[in-house]
Amino acid sequence: MSKWQIFKNGVFNENPIFRLVLGMCSTLAVSSAVVNGLGMGLATTAVLVGSNVIISLLRNVIPKEIRIPAYVVIIATFVTIVDKLMAANTPELHKVLGIFIPLIVVNCIILARAEAFASKNTVGRSAIDGLGMGIGFTLALTVLGAIRELLGTGTVLVAKDFGFSGFSIFPKENGILLMVLQPGAFITLGLVLAGINWWARKKEEKKHG
Amino acid sequence: MDKQGFRLVLVLTIICIIAGAVLAFVNSVTEPKIKAQEALAMKKALQETLPEASEFQPDESLLKEAQQAGGTDLSELFIGFKGEEKIGVVLIADLRGYSSVIRLVTGVSRDGRVMGVKVLSQSETPGLGNKISEKEFIEQPALQQATIEEQLSVIKDGGSVQAVTGATISSRAVVKGVNQSLAAARLFMQKD
Repeated sequence: MSKWQIFKNGVFNENPIFRLVLGMCSTLAVSSAVVNGLGMGLATTAVLVGSNVIISLLRNVIPKEIRIPAYVVIIATFVTIVDKLMAANTPELHKVLGIFIPLIVVNCIILARAEAFASKNTVGRSAIDGLGMGIGFTLALTVLGAIRELLGTGTVLVAKDFGFSGFSIFPKENGILLMVLQPGAFITLGLVLAGINWWARKKEEKKHG
Repeated sequence: MDKQGFRLVLVLTIICIIAGAVLAFVNSVTEPKIKAQEALAMKKALQETLPEASEFQPDESLLKEAQQAGGTDLSELFIGFKGEEKIGVVLIADLRGYSSVIRLVTGVSRDGRVMGVKVLSQSETPGLGNKISEKEFIEQPALQQATIEEQLSVIKDGGSVQAVTGATISSRAVVKGVNQSLAAARLFMQKD
């Protein structure tokens, strides 16, 4: 597999949310608005690239019997470092993303990539895999966030912390509050997954005649 | 223990020691910076909620009194000075919200008017409860122009404060904090 293919694989063919259906806990929780999705996605990408690189570096050192606890320690350490550094150096950004960062530890995409990819591949390829998966995760969260935010509030891309009031498509009163609440997360994810599966099957059928 | 088992223990122990050391190092570097950022944010919040004051001094005994009088969520109390004159009081309350602790700052002038209410920190549900920090909620007149004679409550409970849609618990927590702060301000005014 070429490096470009590894990258593309993470974004499309094996998109962590839409294709692998991993990391549902944080997906359902933070996909209520575009900005939340984007913030969580980017923070996860940073951790994914970092943890993939370190685990790939240590892949010949860690015995396979204890690889899972070792990965958990490495990932949790990485997340805490990112959290602390952000709090100290970019307090404004940390205030916005702060609530998402502890959630990254429990995101199984990171553990999944450590186990399935970084532990068997070179450092460079693992970094690219982390980047591709991270961007795929970000993309999916942003799409879900856009659908829910639009149907729920009539506006997309509200980012008050950055002084951006978003694009208003229809008045707030006509929004479906349910879409921003937890049930909206399940409904949106279910419908989008169904759509993507249908499209993928069509493509597959075409290929095989 | 056989040799292989010992190796597993050794590797995992080394990984944990390194992780601990790295974390201790990062913490020692970032802790003072984070503390400084927090102090700066606190100073800014005090200034914003009682703009006319030029200096703030904590008052422990008044805080204790306020806590005993029912202000159980109040955590800090500052008296605002303009020169020698006491011109108001700023209260910081830590309230149990829906999924986090909401840190609320309320400034009350000496004549019993709210000068400013501000959420200093919170991590309520994104998209719902976290909207208590936004202008539409926190800057509504029912909160910002309250006086110490009032006992505030959200519309659902028969009051005049417009709660955040879908986040009544978070909104109620804020209202509770403002009420306790107003009660403490009453004590402050009785004293002088």
